[in-house]
Amino acid sequence: MPFDTASDAPDDALLVLYANGDGTAARELAARHLPRVLGYAARMLGGDRAEAEDVAQEAMLRLWRIAPEWRPGEAKVSTWLFRVVTNLCTDRMRGVKRRRAVGLDDAPEVEDGAKSAEAELVDSDRMKALNAALDTLPDRQRQAVVLRHIEGFSNPEIAEVMDIGVEAVESLTARGKRALAAALSGRRAELGYEEGS
Amino acid sequence: MNDSDLDDLFAVAQRQPASVSSDLMARVMADAEAHLPRAAVVTRAPVARVSLWSSILTALGGAGALAGLSTATLAGVWIGFAQPTAVSSFTDVLWADDAIYETVDVLPAFDDFLTEG
Repeated sequence: MPFDTASDAPDDALLVLYANGDGTAARELAARHLPRVLGYAARMLGGDRAEAEDVAQEAMLRLWRIAPEWRPGEAKVSTWLFRVVTNLCTDRMRGVKRRRAVGLDDAPEVEDGAKSAEAELVDSDRMKALNAALDTLPDRQRQAVVLRHIEGFSNPEIAEVMDIGVEAVESLTARGKRALAAALSGRRAELGYEEGS
Repeated sequence: MNDSDLDDLFAVAQRQPASVSSDLMARVMADAEAHLPRAAVVTRAPVARVSLWSSILTALGGAGALAGLSTATLAGVWIGFAQPTAVSSFTDVLWADDAIYETVDVLPAFDDFLTEG
């Protein structure tokens, strides 16, 4: 199937183009994956924007380096990238226990949408609450919940990213979601969720 | 907080991808440019020019063989001029100068018979 533009091409094809010396393919790949990779890294690193940017840059750098050896069809670029980010974040969290004092205001800025100021304020409060609650979860639970419910990966994909079995993923996401609900239970009304809704 | 509320929170998070600063994008693209694989330029391998001397050297068996050959040549010249005792005694056996030759007259001349009567 011919591709009219680079934006139609699958990730694999773009990576092959890059490996053959096409620099524009790299820009398309970065546009697709960098925001997600950055957001994931920031959530894993407790909202430390600078460190999340370093991790995201390092993950993309590893993608450029592996491009000539990439075998299309063997792995998904997104899964591969998130696996790299997961490992990089784990290493950083292992080295220095995250400073919980890092303010959630440092979390990545979000894209501006065409929404009313009030709706944006509500969403902003909800994001801060969600990030704060995610930050209370154990690292593995947080990874599994974010990958499943925010990044939209399937359980087998998460198993690949986290290098664990599918059953372990199911267990982590279930426990993580319960813990998240418990952490947010006292803030339901504050976040605009009406009783009985 | 129930599952529905949580799902709503997750949906809000999905709608708000992190914004990538221009600085970060520039760094990532600089990395991509630096690691951009260059198309390989295929060039014809240069044909090695073989000189006369190198072909002779190869025919003789290389530099080692040439060194051995030179040594043997010089040794031969030296032995020829110096004629060491050991060599002379050996060559004397083969080509002795003082050999005594005795002749036997197997067909005497007629004059010899006349003399003896």
